[in-house]
Amino acid sequence: MTATVAPVADIADRGYAHPEVLVSTQWVADHLKDPNVRILESDEDVLLYETGHIPGAVKIDWVVDLNDPLTRDYIDASRFQRLLRSKGISDNTTIVLYGDKNNWWATYAFWVFKLFGVKNVRLLDGGRLRWADEGRELVTQVPRYPDGNITVSGRDDRSQRAFRDQVLEHVNNAKRLVDVRSPEEYRGERLHMPEYPNEGALRGGHVPGARSIPWGRAVNPETHTFRPAAELRTIYEAENGLQKNDDVIVYCRIGERSSHTWFALTYLLGFEKVRNYDGSWTEWGNLVRAPVEKP
Amino acid sequence: MDQETRIAWLVDHSQRPRFKGSLPDADARVPGGNPGCGDLITMYVKAAPGEDRIEAVRFEGTGCTLSQAAASILAVQMNKEQPTFAEVLEFSYEEMLDLLGRGIATSRPQCATLALGTLKGAVKIVKMNRELRAAGYTDAEIVRVRERSGKAPSVT
Repeated sequence: MTATVAPVADIADRGYAHPEVLVSTQWVADHLKDPNVRILESDEDVLLYETGHIPGAVKIDWVVDLNDPLTRDYIDASRFQRLLRSKGISDNTTIVLYGDKNNWWATYAFWVFKLFGVKNVRLLDGGRLRWADEGRELVTQVPRYPDGNITVSGRDDRSQRAFRDQVLEHVNNAKRLVDVRSPEEYRGERLHMPEYPNEGALRGGHVPGARSIPWGRAVNPETHTFRPAAELRTIYEAENGLQKNDDVIVYCRIGERSSHTWFALTYLLGFEKVRNYDGSWTEWGNLVRAPVEKP
Repeated sequence: MDQETRIAWLVDHSQRPRFKGSLPDADARVPGGNPGCGDLITMYVKAAPGEDRIEAVRFEGTGCTLSQAAASILAVQMNKEQPTFAEVLEFSYEEMLDLLGRGIATSRPQCATLALGTLKGAVKIVKMNRELRAAGYTDAEIVRVRERSGKAPSVT
């Protein structure tokens, strides 16, 4: 039984450049028993999956599963292949990601999957919140699937991941940078979060030249789904001057919120070169002699 | 405790938190957390009269499953053991991770230790306020001293 919630337009009617990467809650409901679809939940709340999840969904954790335990980097291709196979994923599996926090960690996982060249991956529009708001079923039973056979050939960071030297080049060449953090973080008023020293920084402000476009602007707060392309174009292009063929780097604090904007620009508006700087402010704000701007 | 049982224990504390709510006669009320992230804990501490020891702890808060479970579990331990101020301040973040279970807690150490960090802050305030009163400060003067030093006036 579904609850009455604010309606949303069909994904196909919203004018996105790549509508095929988004699926609706109804699409997921219709494919819960599809053996060629694997639903993955990726959350900030490490125990949210255990309190209830979409039937048949398996958990993927950005810290435990995707991050290298020693170096600040992602796991290598062989470990990533083992991970996906352990979730029952094969070459012909359609992967659907969803999660809490308006899909922050689902888009983050999506972005990491793309670094590994995974092709058939999609995002549940509206994420866990939309699914729950519609009154759809959440279960605690953890499914088990036989190992899949997906082949992961390698990881290529070049086209979708930015590093600090490339950010500096962007600053020096006045190329497009987008800061998706809150306005308080952008203005340098919030240096670090109380009790969150690992995500803090010694300097506050933003990368010189970066535009402040908080990630949440891409989402309709009533439905939790992405805004239609026309509204996104107003935000990113008309208001902030970005163009589809711009060389854009997006960043936040550790790269999760900016993966959300990376997703919107790349797949919904069809921007051709957007890279996510996952070092983000936890690196830049601690980097000796890195240029910082404050209003 | 195996992993499955531990997860069930944490989820239970999150869904049925113990010692949740305000403590009207607390000696300190200290908020902690990160509004941007959504994990918020306010710790209420009442000290035993004439002793450098906790008498009661309660908390209020919202946020992720682990941060709220950790606050509940910590409150249970504090109310049961009624430790000295020194014992609370010596209770390390590593010990908190052990209490919750490293298999889960180490993947979100900030969430796991938010309640403990806030509790330590509350205990420091109680301790400092007692020292100031012993030095002859009135409660109004203590509030002014704390405001001048940039510390929130967390005396209740």
